[in-house]
Amino acid sequence: MSSENQDWLSAASDNQPLSKAQLDSLLNDAQLQHQLERYHLIGAVLRREPQSPITADFADNFAAQLADEPVYQLQSDRNLLKRLRNTVSVAANGRWLQPVAQGAVAAGVALMAVFGVQQYQQSPQQDAFAPLPVLQTQPIAGFATPVSLSQTTVNDRFAEQEQQAMLEQQKRLQALLNAHRQQVRVMEHSQQAKQTGNNADGKDQNEQQ
Amino acid sequence: MMRFTGFCSAIVLVVVSGLVQAEPSAWALFDKVQNAVKQYNFDTSFVVLKGSKVDTYRWIHGRTAEHEIEHLIPLDTNGVDILRRDNQIYYLLTDRPAFVTQGSSIPELPALLFEAKDNISRLYNAVAGSSLVMSGRSAQLLRLTAKDAGRYSYWLWLDDETGFPLRIDTLSDQQTALERWLVTHMQISPELPENLNALMAAELPQPADTVTKAAPEARHKLTWLPQGYQPIVDPAGIPQLENSLLSYWLLTDGLHQVSVFVQNSQQLPTQAYRDGATTIYVQTSNQLEVTVIGPVSIETARQLAAAVH
Repeated sequence: MSSENQDWLSAASDNQPLSKAQLDSLLNDAQLQHQLERYHLIGAVLRREPQSPITADFADNFAAQLADEPVYQLQSDRNLLKRLRNTVSVAANGRWLQPVAQGAVAAGVALMAVFGVQQYQQSPQQDAFAPLPVLQTQPIAGFATPVSLSQTTVNDRFAEQEQQAMLEQQKRLQALLNAHRQQVRVMEHSQQAKQTGNNADGKDQNEQQ
Repeated sequence: MMRFTGFCSAIVLVVVSGLVQAEPSAWALFDKVQNAVKQYNFDTSFVVLKGSKVDTYRWIHGRTAEHEIEHLIPLDTNGVDILRRDNQIYYLLTDRPAFVTQGSSIPELPALLFEAKDNISRLYNAVAGSSLVMSGRSAQLLRLTAKDAGRYSYWLWLDDETGFPLRIDTLSDQQTALERWLVTHMQISPELPENLNALMAAELPQPADTVTKAAPEARHKLTWLPQGYQPIVDPAGIPQLENSLLSYWLLTDGLHQVSVFVQNSQQLPTQAYRDGATTIYVQTSNQLEVTVIGPVSIETARQLAAAVH
């Protein structure tokens, strides 16, 4: 055991950093470990520290206790997933799921058809609006939402004729709404002619004041 | 005893003077708003929220010593550019010649901001509300509460500093917001906004000389009017509906306009729709279909439709 060794060990006991090689040798050599322990003990005595709450053989005791611990193994959830997947795949091949799946696909196609047709029907009619010879008032995007339900039931509403009638109705209401806006614009004409007269008088009065 | 009476009368005096002062200060705020939108040079953007629908506009206004000019540009793809130079309003259409009307304000902007105060104070009580911070600016609330049931109320928030309107809510009888007008950006400048300079000098089409044809004589009678409304004596004709329209009335209370259309029945159910604050009510009876369109409650629209004979 060289004094060189003891120097760095002593320094280590005073909380000086260790190099990697030194740490390796310390970990491999039991004698060095004992020496470090002793240095620490000497230091503690010199510093008059009260007895350490941890005994010197704490590490050994801990290792022994760990060795006695029973081994726990956590089961992963993967088993449950696997079981579920198996159930589903069995069901998919089974007789009852196939018709249900087919039904779902059919319903999806039907829905697409209904909404697709609606879109298709709406667009040309809106276009038909554009070349009106009179003032095109500001078009509103979409249309007003109903606040009171009509007497038609949900089933009736999907009937083609009903659909057509609704579109026709919307078109007519849109025309009326445009007419209303146009009236408001044109009305300003006559109304405001009077009003500007009044306002001008009012302004004059204000200025005089 | 004398001292007590004196004390009581002092309290009464203070309370009464407070009440008397409250009214004019709210109307003073209203004056401030109307003045701001008429007198300032500004460049602003606003949105109109109608349920799930949102319309966005840019509104530029300028004033020189003699002239006033404002430009309303819809920022959505549809909609028409509207320009007002003094009392001429131009609807600048892309594929047709411009449509020109006369008026001292653009009807597509909230009428409340331009209508004479006398008209509005006849229909509304004004109450100043609390302050609130809105888009980083301090905003003062002004509530205009309708005196009659069935007329919509308005809540205005105006910029403390300038009086410029920052938000206008249109509320139903039940105090639910039907439509919200909201300024998203505002810039007030001492100079006329640059792009208005060019428009001020631009050559614009003359108003068409064609005399607007008056609507044909109504074939039916309207036996009831909502409180405060009067029919317009000679409403303009509606050429595109000439063939189907049996009777037509245009009613106004000075701030709002309501149209009543009478057509032959199409055998459709009675229905009510709403486009923001605008109610569209269709009533079908034996032979007639009555459609009421305007910023009124559904109940008022129903009563109006029922009054057609």
